[in-house]
Amino acid sequence: MTQELTFAVIIIGILHSGIRLATPYLYAGLGEMFDQRAGVLNLGVDGIMLMGAFFGFYAVYQTGNAWLGVAAAVLVGIVMGLLMAVVSISFQAEQGISGIGLYMFGLGLSSLLFKTMLGTVEGVQGFSELKFQITQNFSLYDIPIIGPIFFNHSVLTYGAFLLVPISAYVLNKTTWGLKIKAAGQNPEAADSLGVNVTTVRYMTVILGAALAGLAGASLSISLLNIFQENMTNGMGFIAVALVYFGSWRPYGVLAGALLFSTVNALQLWAQVLNLPIPSDVAVMLPYLLTIIALAMPFRRAAQPAALTRPFTRGDN
Amino acid sequence: MSKTKFNRFFYDHLLNLLLPLLAVLAALLVGALILWVQGVDPWEAYKAMFLGAFGSKNGLADTLVKSVPLMLVGLGIAIAFRGGVINIGAEGQLITGALFVTFLGVTFGEKAPGAVGILLLLFAGALMGGLWGAIPGWLKAQLGVNEILSTIMMNAIAIQIGYYLLRGPMIDPAELAAGTNIPHSARLPKNLDMARFTDMAKALGFTKRAKELGIEGYAGQLYGVLVEPTRLHIGFLFAILMAILVYIFLWRTTIGYKIRAVGLNRQAARYAGINVKRNMVLSMTLSGAFAGLAGAVEILGLHHRMFEPTSVSAGYGFTGIVAALFGGLHPLGIIPSSILFGGLLVGGDKMQRAMQIPQVLITAILGLIVLFVVSTDFFKRKLQTRRISEEAETFFEKETGAGEEASA
Amino acid sequence: MKKRYLLLSLLLIVALTLVACGGNAATKAPKPEPTKSSEAHPTKASEPPVASGEKFRVAVVLPSTITDMAWSQALIDSLKRIQEKMGGEDKMEIAYTENMWNVTDAASAIRDYADGGYNLVIAHGTQYGASLFEIAPDFPDTSFAWGTATDTGKDKGVENVFAYEARAEQGGFVLGVLASALDKTGVLGVVGPVEAGDAKLYIDGFAAGAKYDKPDVKVNISYTGSFGDTALAAEAANTHISAGADVLTGSAQQVVGAIGVAKEKGVLWIGTQSDQSSLAPDTVVASQIYVWDGPFQDMINKHMSGVMGGETYALTLENGGLVLKYADWADKDAVAKAEQVKQMIVDGDLNVMDVIEGKAAPAMSGDEVSTGATRFEYPAEIKPVRIVMVLPSTITDLSWSQSLYDSVKDLQDHYGKDVIDFAYTENMWNVTDAAAALRDYADSGYDIVIAHGAQYGDTLFELAPDYPDTSFAWGTTTNFGADEGVTNVFAYEPRADQGGYVLGVIAAKLTKSGVVGVVGPIDAGDAKLHVDGFVAGVHATKPDAKVNISFTGNFGDTSLAAEAANTQISAGADVLTGSAQQVVGAIGVAKDKGVPWLGIQGDQSSVAPDTVVATDLYDWRPTILAMIQARSGGVLGGKVLQLTLANGGQRMIYSDKLPADVVEAAKAAEKGIIDGSIEIKAEPR
Repeated sequence: MTQELTFAVIIIGILHSGIRLATPYLYAGLGEMFDQRAGVLNLGVDGIMLMGAFFGFYAVYQTGNAWLGVAAAVLVGIVMGLLMAVVSISFQAEQGISGIGLYMFGLGLSSLLFKTMLGTVEGVQGFSELKFQITQNFSLYDIPIIGPIFFNHSVLTYGAFLLVPISAYVLNKTTWGLKIKAAGQNPEAADSLGVNVTTVRYMTVILGAALAGLAGASLSISLLNIFQENMTNGMGFIAVALVYFGSWRPYGVLAGALLFSTVNALQLWAQVLNLPIPSDVAVMLPYLLTIIALAMPFRRAAQPAALTRPFTRGDN
Repeated sequence: MSKTKFNRFFYDHLLNLLLPLLAVLAALLVGALILWVQGVDPWEAYKAMFLGAFGSKNGLADTLVKSVPLMLVGLGIAIAFRGGVINIGAEGQLITGALFVTFLGVTFGEKAPGAVGILLLLFAGALMGGLWGAIPGWLKAQLGVNEILSTIMMNAIAIQIGYYLLRGPMIDPAELAAGTNIPHSARLPKNLDMARFTDMAKALGFTKRAKELGIEGYAGQLYGVLVEPTRLHIGFLFAILMAILVYIFLWRTTIGYKIRAVGLNRQAARYAGINVKRNMVLSMTLSGAFAGLAGAVEILGLHHRMFEPTSVSAGYGFTGIVAALFGGLHPLGIIPSSILFGGLLVGGDKMQRAMQIPQVLITAILGLIVLFVVSTDFFKRKLQTRRISEEAETFFEKETGAGEEASA
Repeated sequence: MKKRYLLLSLLLIVALTLVACGGNAATKAPKPEPTKSSEAHPTKASEPPVASGEKFRVAVVLPSTITDMAWSQALIDSLKRIQEKMGGEDKMEIAYTENMWNVTDAASAIRDYADGGYNLVIAHGTQYGASLFEIAPDFPDTSFAWGTATDTGKDKGVENVFAYEARAEQGGFVLGVLASALDKTGVLGVVGPVEAGDAKLYIDGFAAGAKYDKPDVKVNISYTGSFGDTALAAEAANTHISAGADVLTGSAQQVVGAIGVAKEKGVLWIGTQSDQSSLAPDTVVASQIYVWDGPFQDMINKHMSGVMGGETYALTLENGGLVLKYADWADKDAVAKAEQVKQMIVDGDLNVMDVIEGKAAPAMSGDEVSTGATRFEYPAEIKPVRIVMVLPSTITDLSWSQSLYDSVKDLQDHYGKDVIDFAYTENMWNVTDAAAALRDYADSGYDIVIAHGAQYGDTLFELAPDYPDTSFAWGTTTNFGADEGVTNVFAYEPRADQGGYVLGVIAAKLTKSGVVGVVGPIDAGDAKLHVDGFVAGVHATKPDAKVNISFTGNFGDTSLAAEAANTQISAGADVLTGSAQQVVGAIGVAKDKGVPWLGIQGDQSSVAPDTVVATDLYDWRPTILAMIQARSGGVLGGKVLQLTLANGGQRMIYSDKLPADVVEAAKAAEKGIIDGSIEIKAEPR
């Protein structure tokens, strides 16, 4: 099965990797986008992802059912989100710090649980890649070029991409979306119009955390099918950065996630193809290009006006 | 003390201490629960933690050593926050500063006379860190690139630059010769080592150990930290000096005032004729400079060579943020809060060693402490609101002639 | 506004220092425990001392009945044999309380016995430990014993408590081999009580033994969740038989129900704890019997000579505490097979715990092709030593740190905690913290302080002169401080290019596409050596093969490593290798894509047993032993210790998935490297 390394093979490889690698960034990034749109900065995404990754993995490990893993990850995400919401919204804590606290807590607890409940790295059978078998001899995967790029992913990857238009719809076309934006832009005005800012913020923070949990699960039961301590390795922070990249818009987050992960795939190919670039320089490419892309002179939206500002009802 | 006076004292000062203390206790209590579930005696564990950080000569010295980079990074963070920008890039700024200092020190170090060389290198570290901080500052001011994004990205870039240099141009020749290829630099010449406390004590004529002098207990411990050989270096005093200088800079100079004005209200500052963009770049640059300084001090005072980048930056870019915010973003507040945080980190490690508790458990407990303490703001505000309303009542009573202390 | 934090910090510091002050006098750095030199295996029963006239009084608190055919009965049987040996009831009195499943009641029973002047009070259950440690200090002239446990309370300052345990996994393993040898349907059934204690050990051992004999045998395990629910145990046995099991086993007193079912249905039963053959002589084909005679005889002797406690005992196959009894009608071949495995365990050639934890490759018999590599052997006796490790990553990283941890742990398991005492600190990627830890450990009197990372060297050279009696070790390096005039530092260096070369040979043999991939962390240190050797090995075997190398720039970025593996596979690679803890991500991908993986550093087969076809395992045991033995000879450092194929510091593990000719080629490469006929030259990259 010697395969000629044609240009097409490389392009397919890069794009396919880029799409797959974007999965966790999309879940976590879209979740964080909702948080920030409502005015809450959650820097603890990485910690929530780790908790989601562990619980998702553990559920699959115990039951063998990958969907139970998703449920477990979302559930633990909700719990972590509730904690963040209580601290940051009800207790009006400084959001930059509370997020770092949540991150440390999630990092520590997920590793501890791993140590006591598993103790060693093992594999599970999580979600596998769908090939879209249409008839006996034809699957969408067989379509040249397009097939191997787009029709060879796990259901969680498709879910992540599907979430982009859904998020855009929720944010722009529903009353709830309107309330979220109002809570983040001008909570006082929203309040005077009868929007319960606190409730809206609670809901979005919990939603964002549930998605972050899912992001972790997409690593541990779909992309990698293992759990290891600190396996996100700071992905959650990148996801937060991608929200800024995407100017708080779902399609912007999508663009950021795809750019970052595709360039990452590109640099891996560059190494494999023995291009004369030191590995360290290759590794820093996605980070560098993300900054450069953002420095391009496009019109950008301003951040939600009330981001990180707590809201107290009835004052003044 | 009258009731009003006591109230005011209670709500303004006592509360400031009591509430966070309760929060820490509550966090430790939850942590105790986790410890207990793990089959560890929480009391023993916490005792090991506190004693580890503050209960022995070496523990205390370690705590202070650890507080130095936290303090310097924290000062930089405070300047940035005061100037209205968020600097999550201290990690990268520290690394580039340390790299530059190492490069200069290894290349030209032999020729430099000790003290002058050290001062020059400190400046070089600050310069490099400042440059690394200026980039996101400039990107924000001129192109509107969000600094959270750019600083996170630039951390990763700095790490990889570090690896590139340490694997290639800057690698210790001995590593190449031995074939082990560990990515670290050669050692800086010894004339560039920052003095340790024990060296200074020796120079001042203190050579006897606490035991020989018969000083015991805590005094003996303190004496030990100051005189006996520990790793505590002069960088600690330098960091405290810097804290005072930053205080003077921010509150006693025009530039400092402008930076704070921009941070407080960008619009108002602009109307007042302050160049907002320039001051944003400036505060980011200064913030980076302090992180770079932290890198320089770590190299000159502690490591004396550059290791793998993340081994040197060691998360100070993040713990420094927490230390700065705990210190109320106030340069003088950052001094005790850095020592406290250094203590928590050192004590946490000690707890791991003493009880063989997985280190991650300590990370989780530290996270809880942070979460609980930041939550107390709310209760304090609530209680203070009540004080104000109570005071308003007494004021009203006074106005109507019922008050007895009107003349007091 | 923010002043509050400032004040908080100040106050906390004051509070902490006060606490620190108060406790300062009480705490001291842990001093090395006085270690016993000669008695490494305390379970060997000694002769009963000449009767001293006084009656020796023993009291036992039992969780079940003395006729439970299991846990409690085994002990009472042993005590009765001791009683007989000592001269009957006149010389030794045995009192007991049964069915003490309620811990509160048990506690009062224990206290009453102690109060009643008994010499030895045995609390025969793990659950009694807490009460025991409360009571024991009040009765310094009474000896207490409890099990299954290893804690004698020494560190709590308790001196009159013995602890005992049964290494049930050993017998379980042998019986597992027997079971699978007897089995015809390919299915075995296990009726366990609660997944804990010696039941879990036994069942783990049993399952591992069965798989050791026949890898594809199915071991169905069910736990009833209780010790005494006979009905449920019977039902469980029925279920197993319906599912096709033809040999059953189980533990705890509940099993009598299951044995009944086995007898009725005509399937075989294997017992443990006590001899269960009396219940159904034609059904019980074998039993593992706990013989507590040795430990308790020794406790009695110790007590008489004035030593009240502090000893830990373990029943093992080696010391005769675990006895295997086969029915005389049992299949002779199967018994012979079981006995052969038993002998391997007794000789130390097979560590059951390792097999259970997946560390040792389970293979019934393999014809060893001699490669000239030193086969690891435990020296008969080594000096007691206290070792401490400072590790940059975690002990579960499946690579650099875990390989060292596993090696030291293995030595401890073999020699016992009395001989090898060790501690560790993990995740010390921060050099400042590591330095604090190292100094602290040196201060606490450890004999060997291992700084497991090249970044720790400077700290060591600062410390070493202050602790001239301590040996320090660090690596990867060849610098033991000759320039600094330091004499108590060892340097160590895994020559990863050697194992890498062998892996390269395997890769070249396995690849069909002519492309192999490397997922490295950072091109430095032993990772670089590994790649250098790997490339050389591939090209020596298949000059036109391509080696694509990618580095993730990071040791822990699991997902990037996974993506790198994906990329390699897309680029045509059909064999992969890589190092550092990040590789678990890559291995997962390799597993998904059905591409073989060649591991290095730690044994990574737990992630994907069918994918990891060969491993260059860093076996640190020879290195550690070299240090220990150098110390015995008065040499505290000043040496470079290399981990090579020749000295057994690197051990090649070949999975049975590898074709025979590939293994042959790999072994030839091993041989060539060891005898020097192969010279590894790094190609410029």
